[in-house]
Amino acid sequence: MKLLTLILATFRELFSKATLYVLLGISTLIMLGTLASVSAEHTDEGVILKAFGNPVSPPTPVEEVETLVFGMQTGLAKGLFFGIMLFGVFATASVIPDSLEKGTVDLYLSKPLARWELLLGKYLGAVAVMLAVILYFIGGIWLGFGIRTDVWNIQFLLSSFTMTFMFACIFSIVLILGVVFRNAAIPIIGSFLYLMFIDNLLDSREEILFLFSESKIYRGILDGLYYILPQIAGMQRSLAEQILHKSMEWKPFVQALLSSSAIFIFSAWIMRRKDF
Amino acid sequence: MSAISSESLTKVYSDFVNKKLSVTALNDFTINVEQGQIFGLLGPNGAGKTTFIKILLGLVNPTGGRASILGTLLPDVKVRERIGYLPENHRYPGYLTGEQVMLLFGGLSGMNHAETKSRTPSLLKLVGMEQWAKMKVKKYSKGMMQRLGLAQSLINNPDVLFLDEPTDGVDPVGRKEIRDILKRLKSEGKTIFLNSHILSEVELISDRVAILDKGKLLKVGTVDELTVTDTNYEIGFTGSLPENFHHEAAATVMKFRVDKQIISAELKDASELNHLIDMLRRHGIDITHIAKKRTSLEDSFINLIKREVAS
Repeated sequence: MKLLTLILATFRELFSKATLYVLLGISTLIMLGTLASVSAEHTDEGVILKAFGNPVSPPTPVEEVETLVFGMQTGLAKGLFFGIMLFGVFATASVIPDSLEKGTVDLYLSKPLARWELLLGKYLGAVAVMLAVILYFIGGIWLGFGIRTDVWNIQFLLSSFTMTFMFACIFSIVLILGVVFRNAAIPIIGSFLYLMFIDNLLDSREEILFLFSESKIYRGILDGLYYILPQIAGMQRSLAEQILHKSMEWKPFVQALLSSSAIFIFSAWIMRRKDF
Repeated sequence: MSAISSESLTKVYSDFVNKKLSVTALNDFTINVEQGQIFGLLGPNGAGKTTFIKILLGLVNPTGGRASILGTLLPDVKVRERIGYLPENHRYPGYLTGEQVMLLFGGLSGMNHAETKSRTPSLLKLVGMEQWAKMKVKKYSKGMMQRLGLAQSLINNPDVLFLDEPTDGVDPVGRKEIRDILKRLKSEGKTIFLNSHILSEVELISDRVAILDKGKLLKVGTVDELTVTDTNYEIGFTGSLPENFHHEAAATVMKFRVDKQIISAELKDASELNHLIDMLRRHGIDITHIAKKRTSLEDSFINLIKREVAS
């Protein structure tokens, strides 16, 4: 009950901010853009997929159109992924530091609420908001593709949950930085850096970072970081496999789940030791 | 069973870089508050009053010692179901209405929605906020926020209530109303722990008072015990004092003043008092009464703090 109250309060808190409405507005524009721009023209030679009136595929037999649409959706999902994640972090990062502010944290923690419960409630609240936003966004695009091409790729719709899970993993970084620094700027910058650079560099450490040194310690540290931190790049590849109906690599998800859980537990431990 | 008790409670805010900057906020603090009392904790800024409350509420981890609320050794999350707290400088979400704030904190207290909803109107009425229940908190004045804060602290019908500067920003009429509410709560058997800078208010409603400075407990007792002085006496007499009395008394007694039929004397000890009485009797003056003089709680507080600073 207390956890549900916290989740709902976080929902209300985030929906009271303009940032989320900007995200929803952009999502709506992209959805409408998809609906207006994507079309399938049936010709004697086959189906031609068009974007903004221009063909994006040669005439394709009807039974192969599905594959083309899956490809388009994969490209779109890849392109939108960073936007959703970055904007999502921007819209939700204040949830943790705001609840730890003097005058607010006193009110929360004077209630029969353990510190980890407060963190969990806020964490799940932020993730729940992003689930709603991503479902709205991806669901809208899925609907647009379905209406315009008659290809109803359920895996694309289900990728909303995959993306939300990925957001939850990124938000664990926002959480720990929020608990440590008690402001929104550092978690935003930290998670942006992680998403845009650190994760990609660690993912391709053998091709790039290992070139700088052959030291076993150096390489051991990089390997350690790769396995400790959530592997977003690995999950992104799996996301593409999901939308393309290929067999998904589950290892990055299991690793990210363990990693994010460990980060959460560590955040709760730091929180427990803090004086407010 | 005590409502609140602490034993050798100590809190040091450590500065790991510069040890000299470490601050001892509470030093071996032992106190006992009985159930059904209004207990006032007084002290200058930085005395450790808020730290003490925050340790009891689990907001601050003590460095040493132990504390309990209603017989439960702290820290304990469950006991907070029986606690209400109005922090100093509280911040309620501005996008919520007063009513929604009550529902939120009722839910966090472990109450179900129906229960919270049914208690909310009466509590808002109690603090005079019923007409502002649907207004967003961001439009509230400081006084309205305090009233809402008090209502929020009562949402779970607590047995022990911690109030940190409850009348801060409240007008005189509002202060009187809050005092009346606290008296009423006390009559219902609730224990109220009060932190306040407004000593005259604490004096008016507290059963017992403790004075804290630099983390150390200086004095604890009833308001009467704290305001009575060991050195100031009032001696009533009949008739008139002889001319040489002033001269004679001034030579032996620290300070004294005669106003109509009353001698107010500041004495070092009981021997000076006896000396003064002997003098009066020698001159054939009839003594009507001898009483220890009282000071206001504020004077008593200031004297104690001054003495502490001097020592």
